[in-house]
Amino acid sequence: MLIVDNLHAGYGNSEVLMGASLQVKQGSVVALIGANGAGKTTTMRAISGMIRPTRGAVMLDGQPVQGHGAARIARLGLAHSPEGRKVFGPLSVEDNLLLGAFNHLPRFFGFRAKAEIELERVYELFPRLRERKGQAAGTLSGGEQQMLAIGRALMAKPKVILLDEPSMGLAPVIVQEVFNTIRRLKEAGITLLLVEQFAKSALEVADYAYVMEHGNIAVEGTPAELNQNQRVLAAYLG
Amino acid sequence: MDTSIILQMVVSGAFMGLVYALIAYGFQLTFATSKSINFGQGELVMLSAFFSLTLLNLGLPYWLMVPGGLLFGAALGLVVERAGVRLALEQKSEGWILLTIILGLLGFSAAENIWGRDDRPFPTPISADALHVFGINITPLEISVAIGVFLVMGAVELFKRKTLMGKAFEAVSADRDAAELMGISATRTIMLSYGLSGMVAAMAGILISPITTVGPTMASALILKAFAVAVVAGLDSGFGVVLIGIFLGALESLTSFYLGSGWREAPGLVLLILALAVRPNGVFGKSTMRKV
Repeated sequence: MLIVDNLHAGYGNSEVLMGASLQVKQGSVVALIGANGAGKTTTMRAISGMIRPTRGAVMLDGQPVQGHGAARIARLGLAHSPEGRKVFGPLSVEDNLLLGAFNHLPRFFGFRAKAEIELERVYELFPRLRERKGQAAGTLSGGEQQMLAIGRALMAKPKVILLDEPSMGLAPVIVQEVFNTIRRLKEAGITLLLVEQFAKSALEVADYAYVMEHGNIAVEGTPAELNQNQRVLAAYLG
Repeated sequence: MDTSIILQMVVSGAFMGLVYALIAYGFQLTFATSKSINFGQGELVMLSAFFSLTLLNLGLPYWLMVPGGLLFGAALGLVVERAGVRLALEQKSEGWILLTIILGLLGFSAAENIWGRDDRPFPTPISADALHVFGINITPLEISVAIGVFLVMGAVELFKRKTLMGKAFEAVSADRDAAELMGISATRTIMLSYGLSGMVAAMAGILISPITTVGPTMASALILKAFAVAVVAGLDSGFGVVLIGIFLGALESLTSFYLGSGWREAPGLVLLILALAVRPNGVFGKSTMRKV
């Protein structure tokens, strides 16, 4: 579904990504783990078009998308829930969700009715969002904002979701809740690329995982294989 | 001192102030999406007014001229966006400041060459004969200014709140990167904001010209005051610009009555300086917190 081949990217003159390659098969959850500054978020940003890769290819559903702008890649079926959640603070929870479905909805009137089924699905997954649908997104707690960011990505009915550090800055109880949500998305057959600091929890939900070091993939394998790997164990799972 | 004279001054000034508010509102529209404004907005008002006058002289009825003038203003707004703002924003530079000033100067020269340097009357079917209300004179023309200002601002606010495109507009102003990730094109949204801003400016020109006449120099007088209103009210409060606009208009008219018309521009400038010194985010502006 998503194939990343020899991806190079960076900011200004400093190259952060140096030839990362990975694959996400349809219906699978793939985890991308590694230390701070290894290039995980940069990988996500280069895939979704937030920054332009300088070299390499990104194939979404067999179609090359590298070099396109973020808006165009989003229209082609990739939803990137970015690091730090980035909900639209002044807008209501429901408006945030509706904007998630921007590509499928009429631009002017009648969009609310058209989005009914998707909205219902997201509200069922996150009943808390239904309770707060009229509230400004900026007033939600961190955990609720994370639910909103995931819900907003689901609204797009994407082929692939990139989920960057969903547990960042959340209390342990809430982190557990986030991972339960990811498990439910997986059961629903959603294709997911997950970047996480909590490598252990990430490996528990993932079908396959990549370990990043210094802008490159250092190790890859199934969670069972990584759990056997002494180096990975020592560095990330200890 | 006669209170009815003071009241008269306040009321007449307030109507002028609404026009400043409308132009300031145009600043807010583009600032919201792109953090940039058109420093040549005064020239845009003036050019749209001249164009509308030409439409009238060609024999077009007033009520058909209005949409024509608004479309022209929107088109000019798009030109400013394409020829000035986008070039600078693409390079993440503040060059839009200079570029929009230059485009304004170009517009000024064009107007002098096409329409001449003289101020010209702007005919309107709306009567300028005063009605007496509670001892003060109000003309239907002044009332039409108020109606026009609130119609345009109301329409834009409805668009922003009730349509998905309008919500996308708000999304781009809240977080441009995140909006792009939803498939919302920031470039197109910024274009839209400049088109709307140009339309709003054209409306200001059409509304004020019958009262002030049309001439190339109307640009600089209007822009300074609209700028003062925008800075004092803050660049994100539509309600604020209306209040501050009315306040400045009234203050100006009182100043020119008591101190002489030469002091007319003073209150706007003093307000601007005070606002920048005391509350750079504006009286109604949210204090923006930068998150790391």
